[in-house]
Amino acid sequence: MKILIADDDALSRRLLEKALERAGYEVTAVENGKQAFEQLCKLDGPRLALLDWVMPELDGPGVCRAVRTRSEQTYVYMVLLTSKGSKEETVAGLESGADDYLTKPFNAEELRARLRVGERILLLEDRLVEARENMRFRATHDPLTSLLNRGAVMDLLTRELHRSYREQKSAAIILGDVDHFKRVNDTMGHAVGDEVLIEVANRLLGCVRSYDFVGRYGGEEFIVVLSNCDPDFAPARAEEIRKAISNRPVISAKGPVPVTMSFGLLQTGEWGLKPLEELLHEVDIALYEAKSAGRNCLRLARPAVKAEPAPPPLPQSVRLRR
Amino acid sequence: MSNQKQALSQPAWNQAELLERVDNDQELLLDLLNIFKEDFPRSMRSLDSAVAAADLKGAARLSHTLKGMLSSLGGTRASAAAGKLEELASIGETASLKDAYAALEREGASLLPELNAYMAEVHH
Repeated sequence: MKILIADDDALSRRLLEKALERAGYEVTAVENGKQAFEQLCKLDGPRLALLDWVMPELDGPGVCRAVRTRSEQTYVYMVLLTSKGSKEETVAGLESGADDYLTKPFNAEELRARLRVGERILLLEDRLVEARENMRFRATHDPLTSLLNRGAVMDLLTRELHRSYREQKSAAIILGDVDHFKRVNDTMGHAVGDEVLIEVANRLLGCVRSYDFVGRYGGEEFIVVLSNCDPDFAPARAEEIRKAISNRPVISAKGPVPVTMSFGLLQTGEWGLKPLEELLHEVDIALYEAKSAGRNCLRLARPAVKAEPAPPPLPQSVRLRR
Repeated sequence: MSNQKQALSQPAWNQAELLERVDNDQELLLDLLNIFKEDFPRSMRSLDSAVAAADLKGAARLSHTLKGMLSSLGGTRASAAAGKLEELASIGETASLKDAYAALEREGASLLPELNAYMAEVHH
């Protein structure tokens, strides 16, 4: 584990450095508070720090205060080294954001024990962050395919609609449904059904750019949103996606499974700023039409009257006078 | 007994304490002595200038660093003398600074021969 030592006294620095290297730490040693702060700000910098109280440039409590004002980074466990002995000074040190303090000259065993406490705190923090990230992922992703779940897609799509309208761009909403999926489940079992869904998800993801998004909309229904998609190319892009699904069977544990999907496509630029539910209803009708037309095909959701494009944004000066 | 008096009853250099602190690593101990022999005179010169100029803040900071350095090395008496000087500088006792500096200088002077003797012994 990386550890930082900041002490202006070369002798104490060397003594600490050696003691910590012996204990298995990867040591960085600096001689003033400013250098210490710079090290602790580094992206992959040390998360354990031993800071001398009295130092040139910036003292130990000053480093603690500066580190604690940055909320975006991971926790740094800081121990102040002090030969100051009064209770008031100890309190001031801890109030500055230090986690612990150690009196100089230090005892090597005590130093190691106190740093182990620090490591336990950091480990706990890592676990909490990991658990939070896992929860965040689970709340927004489908457990089977790891695609965005319906709720997450709705949120992203709502934002995308407003952004497209504001920027006078069009996004393509493609709703797809695996054809005769029930038959796959009934004849080959649910495990193979799951394999098909996972493979479909992977193929859909393989068809889009990094700023597009793909979600699992329902059982065997998927949604693809192509941001800023030129209306002239959207049907061809959707057609590519359809072919990516149907051009080869899914290889399951029980053998190849031919898979096709039917698709509805809606281009937001043709509809203007409509409620999301209305647009999804329209694209669902288009998907239903594709099913009725024999499946493994694409149908477009077109409005009876094409929407006027969004008015161009007013200059900043005009908006401010309103 | 005050810390000062306690320190005075100690040897100039508490070698055993330092050996324990370095886990009996002779090489590290020599390394520390070399650092000390290089840094101590330099810090003393800076402290001398600060005391001569009645720079209380500078004198307090430098004597604090010396106090830590000396205590890490096991120079208990000299560390206590540096501590005394730090205390006087912190409370603004300008008049007593020179005497306190002289006391620290004396303690440093009694410490150095012990360190040199040890280094000579190890080298033989």
